[in-house]
Amino acid sequence: MVGIDPESDFTIGPWLKDNLGRPLAGDEIILGANAHIFLGKSESKVGDEEYFYGKKYTVAGIMESTGIGIDDAGFLTMDSVYDMAKISDKSAVMKLDVQPGDVSAFMVDVMPDATRSEVARRIEVEVPGVAVVTSKELMSSSVASQLDSLMPWLRLIGIVFWVIVVLMIGALFSTIVNERRREIGLLQAVGATRRFIFRLVMLEAMQLTVIGGIVGLAVGAVAILLLKGVVASSVGIAYLWPGSGYIVVFVAGYLVMSIITGILAALYPAIVASRLEPYQAIRTGE
Amino acid sequence: MIELTNATKTYDSGGGLVRAVDDVTLTVRDGEFVAVVGHSGSGKTTLVSLMGGLTKPTSGNIFIGGTDIWTLDNLNLARLRSEKIGFCFQFSSLISTLNSIDNVRLPASFAGGERGGLERAMSLLETVGVTDKAKAYPAELSGGQQRRVAIARSLVNEPRIMLADEPTGDLDEQTEADIMKLFQGLNQQGVTIVMVTHSQKLAAQAGRILTMTAGAVAEGIATVDTGV
Repeated sequence: MVGIDPESDFTIGPWLKDNLGRPLAGDEIILGANAHIFLGKSESKVGDEEYFYGKKYTVAGIMESTGIGIDDAGFLTMDSVYDMAKISDKSAVMKLDVQPGDVSAFMVDVMPDATRSEVARRIEVEVPGVAVVTSKELMSSSVASQLDSLMPWLRLIGIVFWVIVVLMIGALFSTIVNERRREIGLLQAVGATRRFIFRLVMLEAMQLTVIGGIVGLAVGAVAILLLKGVVASSVGIAYLWPGSGYIVVFVAGYLVMSIITGILAALYPAIVASRLEPYQAIRTGE
Repeated sequence: MIELTNATKTYDSGGGLVRAVDDVTLTVRDGEFVAVVGHSGSGKTTLVSLMGGLTKPTSGNIFIGGTDIWTLDNLNLARLRSEKIGFCFQFSSLISTLNSIDNVRLPASFAGGERGGLERAMSLLETVGVTDKAKAYPAELSGGQQRRVAIARSLVNEPRIMLADEPTGDLDEQTEADIMKLFQGLNQQGVTIVMVTHSQKLAAQAGRILTMTAGAVAEGIATVDTGV
C-alpha cells in the first residue's frame, strides 16, 4: 500500500483528476491492475469494500496495467495510512508500525530545463542522510542507456525503411501506370487533360497509402494491446497509454505521413502518365 | 474541315525510322464521309490519329476548323478532342471499371455542360440498340455491344467529326450493317466521318475513298454520293 499526499502528489494525481474527477477520500483506495490477486479475488470492481488492518476502504478506481510493481499496489491518502496504523493495534492481527509524519520517499518533479543529476547532487548535499535515485535509475538504468544508444540507429533504420517503402510504392505505381497505358490514352482521347491524369494517379496513390496507413495503425494497435504486458514485464518498464491528445496528434501525424509517402512515391509515375501521348499510349497498351 | 499539310509521322521501330505517314496533304470537307483503305501497316490508324490530335506530327500541320491544333495548349487540345471529335476505335475502348451508361457520360464530364445527363445517355444507348445493357460493365458485353456503347459514347458531346478506326472489325454481318447504317445516318445529319476499314464493301458506302500505301495517300474512287 502506498500512501500519497493528495496536495502535492503528481504520480497518480493526474490519473485521479482524469478518472475520478475529485480528490481521494480518506476511506477510499485506488487499486493497481493486479492488486485483486493479493486480495485473493479473481477481480476487483469499483465500489468493492476491502479491509486493511481493520479499516474499511471502498475501491474508488482500478488503474490500467503497467507491467511493473505498481500493478500490485493500492494507493490511499497518507492521512488514511496514519489512521489505519493508529487503529491497527486494536483492529488488526498485526500492528502497522507507521507513525504520523513518517515518510518513506519523496518524489521530486524536476523542471524541464534542470539537470536531474545536478538536482540529485544538491539534495544529497543539502539534506544529509537522504539517498537520491533518479528516474532513469528507477526505470532501470540498463534499459534507459540501451534505449539512448539504440535510438539514433532505430531512427536511421526507420528512415531507411521509409525510403525503401517510397521507392517500392513508386515502382508499384510505375507498373500500374504501365499496365493502364491504354486506359490513360483512351481517357485523353475522350477529353481528359494532362492535369486530370496526373491527379488521377496521385489520388489513387494517396488513397492506397492512407488505407495502408489505417491498416498499419490498426495492426499496430492490436499488436500493442496483445504484447504490451509481455514487453513491459520483460524490460521492467511501465507501459502507460499516452494521453488522448497525444494519440490524436500521433494518428493525425501518421496519416499525414502516409499521404506524403503516397505523394512522393506517385509523383514520378503520375508525371510519366500525364505526359503520355494518347495514340502511343493506346497502341502500346493494346 | 480537316486539313493536313505536308503531315509526316515517323517512329523509331528499333530497326530504324519508319515513316507511318509520309508528307500527306489532304482536306476532308465538312459533312464528307471518307473511307481510308490500305494494307495493314500502311499508316491508316496513324493518319486518323493525326486527324484527331492523338499524336503530334513529326513535321507538317493539322488544321481542324481552320485552327492548327498543335498550337493549342493542352487544355484546349483536350477540349477539342472532347467536344468536336468522336473516336471509335478498332478494339474495345470502354473503361473497364465503368458501366455502359457511365462510359457514355464520360466525355461529357470532361466537356462540362448538360450533355452528360442520364436521359441523354440512355437515349444514345437506345440509338445504338443497347438500352438493356445500361448497367452492364464492359466484361459483361459482347464485342458488338461494346462497340455500340463506344459509338454512343463518341456521340455524347454531339461532335461534328467522327473518326472511326475499323469500327466493325471482328463483328458479325448484322452488327456491321447496323453500325454502318448508324454512320450513314450521322453523316446525313452533317457529321463528318473518316472511317478506316479493310473492307472494300464498307468503303464503297463512303462518299470518298482514300487509299494508303506505305504512308502515302492516294485518292480512290467515290462510289456513293451521300447527298450531303
